[in-house]
Amino acid sequence: MAPLITVQDLTINYASRGGAVTALDRVSLDIKENELLGVVGESGCGKSTLALAIIGLLPIPPARVQNGAIEFKGTDLVQLGPTRMREYRGTQIAMIFQEPLSSLNPVYKVGDQIAEAITIKKMREDGHSTVDSEIMQKTHKVVPPGVSKLPKAKRKIMPEIKEEVIGSLKLVRIPDPDQVIDRYPFELSGGMRQRIMIAMALSQEPALLIADEPTTALDVTTQAQVLKLMKELMKKVKTSILLITHDLAVACQVADRVAVMYAGNIVETSNVYDLFSKPLHPYTQGLLSCLPTGSKRKIVLKPIPGSVPDLRTPIIGCKYESRCAYAMKACSEKKPHLVEVEVDHKVACYLHGEANGSHTTNN
Amino acid sequence: MVRQMEAILQTIDLRKYFPVQRGINPFSKAKKFVRAVDGVNMTLWKGTTLAVVGESGCGKTTLARTIALLTQPTSGDVIFNGKSIVNGKTETRVVYRDLQIVFQDPESSLDPNITVGASIGEPLFGLMKWNKETVDKAVQKSLEVVGLPHDIADRLPGQLSGGQKQRVAIARAIGPQPKLVILDEPTSALDASVQAQILRLLLELQKEYSLSYMLITHNIAVAEYLSDFMLVMYSGDVVEYGQTEEIMAKPRHPYTIALISSAPIANPWKRNLLEVDIRGEVPSAINPPSGCKFHPRCPYAESICSQERPKLREINPGRLVACHFVEKTA
Repeated sequence: MAPLITVQDLTINYASRGGAVTALDRVSLDIKENELLGVVGESGCGKSTLALAIIGLLPIPPARVQNGAIEFKGTDLVQLGPTRMREYRGTQIAMIFQEPLSSLNPVYKVGDQIAEAITIKKMREDGHSTVDSEIMQKTHKVVPPGVSKLPKAKRKIMPEIKEEVIGSLKLVRIPDPDQVIDRYPFELSGGMRQRIMIAMALSQEPALLIADEPTTALDVTTQAQVLKLMKELMKKVKTSILLITHDLAVACQVADRVAVMYAGNIVETSNVYDLFSKPLHPYTQGLLSCLPTGSKRKIVLKPIPGSVPDLRTPIIGCKYESRCAYAMKACSEKKPHLVEVEVDHKVACYLHGEANGSHTTNN
Repeated sequence: MVRQMEAILQTIDLRKYFPVQRGINPFSKAKKFVRAVDGVNMTLWKGTTLAVVGESGCGKTTLARTIALLTQPTSGDVIFNGKSIVNGKTETRVVYRDLQIVFQDPESSLDPNITVGASIGEPLFGLMKWNKETVDKAVQKSLEVVGLPHDIADRLPGQLSGGQKQRVAIARAIGPQPKLVILDEPTSALDASVQAQILRLLLELQKEYSLSYMLITHNIAVAEYLSDFMLVMYSGDVVEYGQTEEIMAKPRHPYTIALISSAPIANPWKRNLLEVDIRGEVPSAINPPSGCKFHPRCPYAESICSQERPKLREINPGRLVACHFVEKTA
């Protein structure tokens, strides 16, 4: 299957007082159609930067795309200007964030916010490329004060759009959708808010949905419900999902393929079964042996020694070298590239394959 | 575990209600309460770890704070080391010395303006009444025990990483040689590899100083790893209590079953998360459902569940479940 999106040699820096921080260092990966790709890594490894780069929301400056391309359906998203990018953002590539309360507008009812998203989509389909600020007037009919007997004009969602709004809430299994549309975000629980975000994102029928830690702020039983819902809707709406998470177990439960990131590099990508049964990169192995998966009487945790290197100082070799038990001479001299060592299993480590720089990723 | 055990901590029908104001009339008579902890009976055996698990708002942190005398209980009693500690029956200084807490976020539990050494030393001056020389020695010892270099004592918390800060918080807690340490989500703010380091450290310290731990967590994997006994809370109530291994192998309360099967596990062949059948969300603590608080979400609920609150009863020796239809999950 042809990849839906191909990230090629993407390098992104953030300017800071102590020098440029290399957040992404020649990252290459692809997402296939109708695939759930999990990107896992610890804080500061660059996984959120990758997500923001794909959807074109990087704060530039301080961020700077130094090198690389993001190819989506034949277009390089890196080269698009902000206006052209808006044609993709939301419609083709949608995103949900960790904290739904800060991504929803607190002063609008959730129904209005979803209606807005649906109207934008309709206008785009009608050939309006840019969206004007009068969008709320197009979604709402204004009831004049005299008619409504209320002191102020009251807005109502257009009936034909209202039906679609309720339909999209039903899709994400919100109970009593016709009442929920009149609520404000603060009146809903965390799980409901995240479902509203999913409903808004999927109402655009995007080709790619980026979910950045979508369940980190939720309780475990709610997390299970939201993840299950995402997985089901993915098939229904025919979208691919890029799931960013720090929780290996979450990625393991829902992802088809997993990419492991460390200090701005992708160190290993594989289908989920191979990654958890025979991890190849020492960092992946280290992460897995850090997971408590049973009682203290049966399991001995083996923490990874040391800590993440300072990304301001350029590292020529492998970034994991200082913490790696298998470090060799070559590791500090040249950065290993991602090499396909088995079908659909790539690793950037000199222990496996000929990652000596002559090979690069094959797409 | 049949051997005779001594209780270090017991709570007897412990309740903590927080009054909430309804509407804007401050003189309104209709007072409502958040029943954060609603009649908890529990025992923590000496030298063991009790994990209190549950989702946000279930009252696990309030339980810990009430036990540590950071807030006075509404009713009920706390027996620590054989003596009641509620209402000044035991000198609070003794309680504060023998019962230490490690909080979730070391960022906010360490004073950013004083050095790490001063933070660790402060309880030793105040609670132990040691002189400067002894305290300095003890600070160095504590740092060594938690695996931090000596020179870190002169640094400020802002200069440390999250894992190092949590080590400092642990060093401060074990300084006054406590009998019981309450760990309130000790690793929730940390990355996986740092979490593993802290969990290992906690186990080593427990062995070396024969500490008792009360672990408050929402992370089932951490609870399973660290604890010997487990207490499952739901909306202020204890719904299940027993040995961790038994509960993990065969949870009996419908909520415990849902909670354990919702916890993601790192095994792609066991995709439990996609098979979980749990509806709804945690209820409001101000207006909890009548009877069993879990009944609106429970697959086994019958009419009695909405009328009568189930009592915690012993189904096997040492295993307590609060459910009317516990046979159904056998």
